[in-house]
Amino acid sequence: MLLEINHRSGQPIYRQVVEQIRRQIMAGRLREDEQLVSVRELAAELNVNPMTISKAYSLLEHEGLLERRRGVGLFVARLRREQTNREKAKLLEEAMTKAVTAAIQVGIPRKEAGEMLDKLYRKYDSKSRSDSNE
Amino acid sequence: MNKMNPIVQMSGLYKRFGKIQALAGVDLSIKRSSIIGLAGANGAGKSTLLRHIIGLYLPDRGKCTTFGCEAGKLGPEELARIGYVHQEGDLLDWMKAGQLIRYVSAYYPTWNRELEEKYIADYEISTDARVGSLSPGQRQKLAILLAIGFEPELLILDEPAAALDPVMRARFLDMLLQFIQDENRTIIISSHILSDIEKVVDHVVIMKAGLILLDLGFDELRERYYRVRLSALGGDLPRELPFANIVDCKRSNGEAIVTVADCPAEELQRQAESADCRIEMQALSLEDIYRIIVR
Repeated sequence: MLLEINHRSGQPIYRQVVEQIRRQIMAGRLREDEQLVSVRELAAELNVNPMTISKAYSLLEHEGLLERRRGVGLFVARLRREQTNREKAKLLEEAMTKAVTAAIQVGIPRKEAGEMLDKLYRKYDSKSRSDSNE
Repeated sequence: MNKMNPIVQMSGLYKRFGKIQALAGVDLSIKRSSIIGLAGANGAGKSTLLRHIIGLYLPDRGKCTTFGCEAGKLGPEELARIGYVHQEGDLLDWMKAGQLIRYVSAYYPTWNRELEEKYIADYEISTDARVGSLSPGQRQKLAILLAIGFEPELLILDEPAAALDPVMRARFLDMLLQFIQDENRTIIISSHILSDIEKVVDHVVIMKAGLILLDLGFDELRERYYRVRLSALGGDLPRELPFANIVDCKRSNGEAIVTVADCPAEELQRQAESADCRIEMQALSLEDIYRIIVR
């Protein structure tokens, strides 16, 4: 699990940890049933107060993304499809809100923005690239 | 002693020096396993407060207990659990640095020789130099070593990093975070360099004129204020901005930079959307927050 703490961002550290773990779970980098490193280990590795990590883990547990197995530790929970979809939609909405409001501000019409989206999909997504080659 | 009990408990603490009311009714409770940052202008009462914790000052009124014991009556056993680094850094100037380390370490059965050696190497302390000939920065590093070498449960640092250069300050802050990995330990640090303590503290206490203005978890404090850039999506910004609790506001040509208090990020987002605005949010630095609170 690769996490990075930015002390300058002003965002509380526990939030940074929560958001990064959430993304990793959604992207499948942290898999279902995978065990997370302990609070102590992660705190020592990131050099932050153990209480900060414990707060982040509890929050993720509360959201249902992690589950505690008694006497063993914390694991990535098995998520229901609706829950995964909801989480993913939330991530996308956040990013697209930024893009769309920026487009409106500089006066780019909906159609042009859509073309840009297609172009970017072709650029970054290997799957849609091979689709269009066929 | 119960682990949940506060390590330091102050109630109704008053202290006067001549005409100056250094503490004017301080209530403070410090819990174990956190790093508490103490901020305030010169003369706000920070050092006076810290000295009460170890019984170096006795209150005119009120009570201060440390490890459950009245601070003025702390015995050698309790004092051996407290490390203290202060601004003046009184050390025995005629000794060599190495001699002073041996001399102080002899008082503590818990002295950690390994930590000492690592620290001497990391902080480039010249053990052969006379203490009196050390630069202010060297002196401060030595004082820190003497305060942490016996691995105290409570470490009190009064402006510990002022004389250190940026590289040494960063190492010092890292060391504090390593120190706190043992959950039995607590650090109280006062500093003017808020950009430093913001990297390590998890609780903030702000003092002004002998009073505590703020005593709050750092995460909560950080989420209390946002600086937002608001721009109209069509036309101009509404005359009345959609937020309550505006601390500060600058606006021009359909844009505004606004500092708001006590409103969660999701709520700000919603309010901006309902006013047809684009919003970009930024958290404030501890220094920005400090200025809002003490003004």
